[in-house]
Amino acid sequence: MSYAYLFKYIIIGDTGVGKSCLLLQFTDKRFQPVHDLTIGVEFGARMITIDGKQIKLQIWDTAGQEAFRSITRSYYRGAAGALLVYDITRRETFSHLTTWLEDARQHSNSNMVIMLIGNKSDLESRREVKKEEGEAFAREHGLVFMETSAKTAANVEEAFINTAKEIYEKIQEGVFDINNEANGIKIGPQHSPTNPSLPGAGGKDGSQGGGCC
Amino acid sequence: MEDNCEGCMELFSQDGVLLKQAHSYYIQYFNESGTLYITEYANTKDRFIEWKPNSVTVHSDSHDSEWSFVNAIYRGEQMSPQPPDSKPKYIKLDMNQVRSFKVSKKNDTMTFFDGKGEILCHFFFQHGNCFSLFAALKGLLKTTVSKRDKNIHIIVDETLQLNKSFATLDLFQDSQSASIVWGFVRSFQEKPVETAFGAFAKIGNTIGNNFMPSSSPQPIEEEVITNDVKEYERGVESSDGASPKDYEIIHSSPELPSRLQYPRGNPLSYDQWTALQDSEGRIEDVEYTKLHIFRGGIAPSLRKVVWKYMLDFYPWNSSNADRKTILGKKEQDYYDMKLQWKTLKPWQLQNFVQLRDRLSLVEKDVTRTDRTLPFYAGDNNKNLQAMSDILMTYVMHNFDLGYVQGMSDLLSPILYLLQNEVDAFWCFAGFMERVCTNFDADQAGMKTQLSNLYILLKFSNPTLASYLDNQESGNMFFCFRWLLVLFKREFELHDVFRLWEVVWTNHPCNNFHLLISIAILEKQQSEFIGEEMGFNEILKHVNDLSGKLDVNDILDNAEGLYYQIRESSQLTNEVRQILGLPLIAESSPKDDSTDSIENELMANVDKAYENGLHTSYF
Repeated sequence: MSYAYLFKYIIIGDTGVGKSCLLLQFTDKRFQPVHDLTIGVEFGARMITIDGKQIKLQIWDTAGQEAFRSITRSYYRGAAGALLVYDITRRETFSHLTTWLEDARQHSNSNMVIMLIGNKSDLESRREVKKEEGEAFAREHGLVFMETSAKTAANVEEAFINTAKEIYEKIQEGVFDINNEANGIKIGPQHSPTNPSLPGAGGKDGSQGGGCC
Repeated sequence: MEDNCEGCMELFSQDGVLLKQAHSYYIQYFNESGTLYITEYANTKDRFIEWKPNSVTVHSDSHDSEWSFVNAIYRGEQMSPQPPDSKPKYIKLDMNQVRSFKVSKKNDTMTFFDGKGEILCHFFFQHGNCFSLFAALKGLLKTTVSKRDKNIHIIVDETLQLNKSFATLDLFQDSQSASIVWGFVRSFQEKPVETAFGAFAKIGNTIGNNFMPSSSPQPIEEEVITNDVKEYERGVESSDGASPKDYEIIHSSPELPSRLQYPRGNPLSYDQWTALQDSEGRIEDVEYTKLHIFRGGIAPSLRKVVWKYMLDFYPWNSSNADRKTILGKKEQDYYDMKLQWKTLKPWQLQNFVQLRDRLSLVEKDVTRTDRTLPFYAGDNNKNLQAMSDILMTYVMHNFDLGYVQGMSDLLSPILYLLQNEVDAFWCFAGFMERVCTNFDADQAGMKTQLSNLYILLKFSNPTLASYLDNQESGNMFFCFRWLLVLFKREFELHDVFRLWEVVWTNHPCNNFHLLISIAILEKQQSEFIGEEMGFNEILKHVNDLSGKLDVNDILDNAEGLYYQIRESSQLTNEVRQILGLPLIAESSPKDDSTDSIENELMANVDKAYENGLHTSYF
């Protein structure tokens, strides 16, 4: 299927906060309580529509354990958006956000859109982190915030799509250099020469032809 | 070839001889019955050990094509022959290649070795014993009994010692020795690398014979040998630049020798395993056992038993009685360690954040490990509890390492196979001994592995390496999962069993799993390059290979790749080091390099003897 843009996302956060489940809920619209823990990095992709344009999201889901941080860092490069996830039922996953954020800021391009996500909102009875705390953290660090449940699918679509919208707006504003793939954005193969709103577009032809990911 | 079958004389024959092991080309004949011959050619006096299966009738006058063919195969161990077009019809082994042979205790098998750690042929005598063959060999060859194993007979090759000294000592007076010597010189000119390899191996043998612990000293011979070594060193040095142009080929060939196929053998069977033990249950020939496993793996029903040896639960040389004691001790130790964390009071745990964090991570990961296998499916599964207990007890066993993600993937197949908590714990601990650096807190071990993988790839396939480099993938991160959990996520469970036990044998070299990685990658090369895949696409493509790989094909190719690399004329010390091959002094002062070659030879010999004469020292 052809697309106007491809955005690369990365999902980060402590181990066990539900990164893989969020991805699966978004790409396959299902919740799989039994799945293998992530080693290295895994992929998902889905097409969405923004402003009448087809946008392909290529999402990288990373291993959360601290030991692997040095390897995970290399995947920040070339991401247009990041979902920084914590688990509302485990305070320590919230406490570690600062470290994650520093890591992300340091190793990604400065325009990367970061969405803060408090996952497992269905487990209200076990909540350890108030929604207000998440909002405050996001405000303080200039992030978009949302609480989600990969289990019930609450807000999952929105989390991914709102991030894409923000990236799209940045493109419209000319903040992103879309000809530089290091920004995590790729122009679809047949869209590059015809988009009038994108001066300078068309330099790079998508070599993967919309095929693989 | 000088070989002419006219005047071929049969010196000995015996039927009812089963081929048990040989080069894997002959795999179709393994366990087949046939006739064993010793033949001699009138004009050259070359002698051969031949074995013909009963199912094939080959007239002994049609040897010409077979000879060159069989010869090529055996040389394949040393160099790069052309792969044969068709399957071999029978075995023909030049007796000059045999450096030693071993008679089993029951006198019903005989094994021929090449002196470099390879088994040339292993025969089983169905009817009675191998006495008559043994007598025939003794009549034809001068042998000495190995000091380390009285069942091993080392062939004392007098002509070889003579012809190796030809340049310094004008010893060859009879025409036969002279023709061997000039044959050697010719072949050195035609195929310097190959001949030099063969020559070094033989020097190793010669030296080995003379440096055996209690052999009687023979000063003159030792002197001859020292001269031999120097002579060969000169050969090597002269090939090293300012030298006759005949030898320049050593440094001008940019490519690896061609790839040979190494089809897998049969798995180690229960009967074979039983036969490998002495009356008290000790494994007599560990290297042979490992070689067998390397070639064909272990029969599924036997894995449960043999894995305990592979993973250092039981020593190979333990008797039945020893193992009983060991098991008791291991059970006690395991439950002691398990009790250590099981009996912690809540307030202790409250103030022991490192342990508490590990406990909670283990709990989380156990519920995310292989839950689709019925063995681990469902809630309140006792196997999940066992997995969790083993991992927690391992934290107590090695607190510095603790628990790192990936470990549960390594434990799961072991527990599944052994179905016993204590056994699985210790086998897992044995496995971790081999791979613990994968789980370094700073990932230093993984980084080294990835970098070694790149070095090997760059050496064996510079095209692919440079493509990956250009796609910012030279860090090989896309192979991270393969290496961290040793391909556990890439194959279905029974293939994982197979691959792991092959890697655990440490044959044919160190870090064989890196060659396995390259064997997988090179199959993807055309897609990587043809589809112009970049960093993202390569990573995704490699991730998606999971479940699509053929374990036998990959092992064949990885082994073939090993021999290609080993025989390459441009082998670097960097590559040697990774594969555990002996290092050579590169571009160092003359005297140093002389010492180093000598040391290398001696190290090889020592090692070969350490391992009872027939380990591989590459």
